[in-house]
Amino acid sequence: MRRDPEVTGVSRRNLLGGAAAGAVAVAAGSTLLPRSASAATDTASHQYAFEGVHQRGILTPAQAQASYVALDVTASSKAELVDLFRTITSTARSLTKGGTPPDTGLATPPSDSGVLGPVVPSDGLTITTSVGASLFDDRFGLADRKPARLRRMEDFPNDDLDRAVCDGDLLLQICGHHQDTTLHALREITRATRGAMQVRWRRDGFHSPPRPAGSSRNLMGFRDGTANPSTADASLMNQLVWTRSGGDEPDWVDGGSYHVVRQIRMLVEFWDRISIREQENIFGRRRDSGAPLTGSKEHDVPDYAADPSGEVIQMDAHIRLANPHTAHAKKQQILRRGYNYDGGTDANGNLDMGLIFTCFNADLERQFVAIQKRLADEPLVDYVSPFGGGYFFALPGVRDHQDWLGRRLLT
Amino acid sequence: MRSIDSRRGVLAGIFGATLALTACGGPSESAASSASSAVRISAGVDDCGKGWASPHGGRQTFELHNTTVAGEEVHLENAATGALYLDVESLGADARQQATVTLGNGTYRFVCLPSDGEAALGAKVTITGSKDVAGATPPLKPVTRNELIPALKSYQTWVRGRLPVLQTQVQQLETDLKAGDLASARASWLAAHQTYETLGAAYGAFGDLDGAINGLPAPGKTARQDHHLEGFHRIEALLYGGAPASDITPYASRLVRSVSDLRSAFVSGRVDPVDIGLRSHEILENALEFELTGRTDAGSHTALATVDANLTGTREALEPLRTILAERYPDLAATERALDTSQHLIRTFQGADGEWTPLSALTRSQREKVNAQIDATLELLAPVAAICDPRRTS
Ligand code: HEM
Repeated sequence: MRRDPEVTGVSRRNLLGGAAAGAVAVAAGSTLLPRSASAATDTASHQYAFEGVHQRGILTPAQAQASYVALDVTASSKAELVDLFRTITSTARSLTKGGTPPDTGLATPPSDSGVLGPVVPSDGLTITTSVGASLFDDRFGLADRKPARLRRMEDFPNDDLDRAVCDGDLLLQICGHHQDTTLHALREITRATRGAMQVRWRRDGFHSPPRPAGSSRNLMGFRDGTANPSTADASLMNQLVWTRSGGDEPDWVDGGSYHVVRQIRMLVEFWDRISIREQENIFGRRRDSGAPLTGSKEHDVPDYAADPSGEVIQMDAHIRLANPHTAHAKKQQILRRGYNYDGGTDANGNLDMGLIFTCFNADLERQFVAIQKRLADEPLVDYVSPFGGGYFFALPGVRDHQDWLGRRLLT
Repeated sequence: MRSIDSRRGVLAGIFGATLALTACGGPSESAASSASSAVRISAGVDDCGKGWASPHGGRQTFELHNTTVAGEEVHLENAATGALYLDVESLGADARQQATVTLGNGTYRFVCLPSDGEAALGAKVTITGSKDVAGATPPLKPVTRNELIPALKSYQTWVRGRLPVLQTQVQQLETDLKAGDLASARASWLAAHQTYETLGAAYGAFGDLDGAINGLPAPGKTARQDHHLEGFHRIEALLYGGAPASDITPYASRLVRSVSDLRSAFVSGRVDPVDIGLRSHEILENALEFELTGRTDAGSHTALATVDANLTGTREALEPLRTILAERYPDLAATERALDTSQHLIRTFQGADGEWTPLSALTRSQREKVNAQIDATLELLAPVAAICDPRRTS
């Protein structure tokens, strides 16, 4: 059980074991909720408020399931683009809240796919909408509105990018407690917007439960997400996550965030054939406990001062390169929110699985790009292969029931 | 490229209806309440509609109980207009089925239609005093088999009128091949295939003859490899794959025979009225599934020509339904405009010389546009089959 600052309403009855009382909305912040509940009923009415200064799905603790969907806009005018954003907004608002789909009568197919039954549960659903650099080309006259750092994701030295699964005008990051919830949301959104956008690439991911405790493990067996900056620290989030207008940034970006997605294949058969010593040296952490090699517990801070020449945590260990703990590196921290993926098998029988690396940052260049450049040729690169993803900008939040995603960008 | 109305039709029209979920306390709560508060209605011949004790406006669930000894269909209709709110079909003897509607003020009644007997009318029930019911179930004026028959006849007349044209075209193909003129044969093949693709043979409408005329290769084989395959795609594979005319001619002759068989079968064949509504969206569903994925291409790279023909076929299937739809489908005009826009878009990929751009030569964004436009049109076509599903009224 953990405290979840974003939960705004929840059916107490479910938490209390199905007593007959009606659902009771519990004031924000006063609810304890299982982080990843196993039974559907535990989380069905778990709801994240759609409206706010920022979109959900950024600071929100990672739900168990995610669907990443990049889309290209096929709407052909600014007015149609506005309609598209309004429709995404109203659909997302409605789905995250849950409820009964409208009865459209006998003259139409059912208004909802029915995948979640006759009453749609909110089930911790969040839908985060982000825009890619290509939306700011000459089609909609938005060139001078582009977030200053937004661009097509470049090929980094160890990348093997397939452009068919990179980039996109839009990215929807749909997260929820169960996969039927995320897929239902995806189906309803694509149906509602049919004709105005087309799926470009898509990848589903999952967030493993703690095994046995601490941060969720990635598919290399290591705890992942340990050293994230604290989402409870609002001023830290203001420095590291939320983009601000001014300088070279346009006036509409306040409260948004650069949203980086990298689809990274793990060569798990190869990885499983190397020793635990090598695995731990590559990351600079213990596999079982997640502790830095200089410490004993997961959340111990790596002590590079006491290990200046890399006797304990090698100089090119993943965590040491990613965050050398210098004054400079402090400003480069990113908020990671990755998901594991499982993608079937290769022609040679190898398993296709890996990480949907995801991070949010206030300044793409200063933060993500600086870290990624430092990671070039790290020992980990032999065991992973980045093949897709893109740079996006998560739009500022929807302020109230009349507001819509992208309003300040488009009006 | 897309017209303003596909935006209206899709984003505002369909979604306007789709979006707002009605918030409620929570799933288990409402499931529990609908189970306990469902109004139990007897749906027998003598007691049809009995049990609707305290009628009120708003969302409500009925539990319909077939008290007869045979299968049944139960309607909830507007007693003044006959328009339907509910149509529960195939309710077995003694079975109970729940159905939910949202009703405003008005006079209603249940109608029980035993499969082997005449309709029994329930007592009229009046709801008064409910103000501004949100999300009331829109009524549908039912379409009967009899109403569909003229539409069907006129569609069949159109198809029948196209068959001689098709026959002339496949004969021309045979003549070209006999003369060893492969260039003319390709032109004749395309003309004949386009004609056939307007006829709405999608999803087995022409039975086995469709297999002989326009069948696809067996799984795992190409049209060139599958020696059991005949018809347009076999000929296509040979014609565009470098085979000599003499190897192709026998297939052309067989195709001529199959088309003449289709002509005689079509004269004697009967089509179910339910088909006409289905046809008007299935032709394009078929185009999306098989043509816009490139699955049927056996070498001619004319998938877009096929889609163009399919759009023509869709309009022809829709045309005789216009009167029926005019008073029942508010997005009919938007649907027709979406078909226009689609066809206009597809035809931008035909050069002045009549050559069609291969699907694989489209840029990613061109292909996305095409898919998006056909998708949007399909969403608009979807209600046609629901509306034109023939329903009993007596
Ligand atoms: C498949 C690829 C990757 C794997 C398996 C991986 C795995 C890990 C693991 C196990 C940790 C230590 C636990 C933790 O703090 O979360 C970690 C930390 C970290 N990783 Fe990665 N990572 C990958 C890619 C990346 C990429 C592409 C970046 C950014 C460019 C990145 C940035 C970081 C950062 C900033 C930390 C925290 C370092 C610290 O503050 O100590 N990682 N990663």
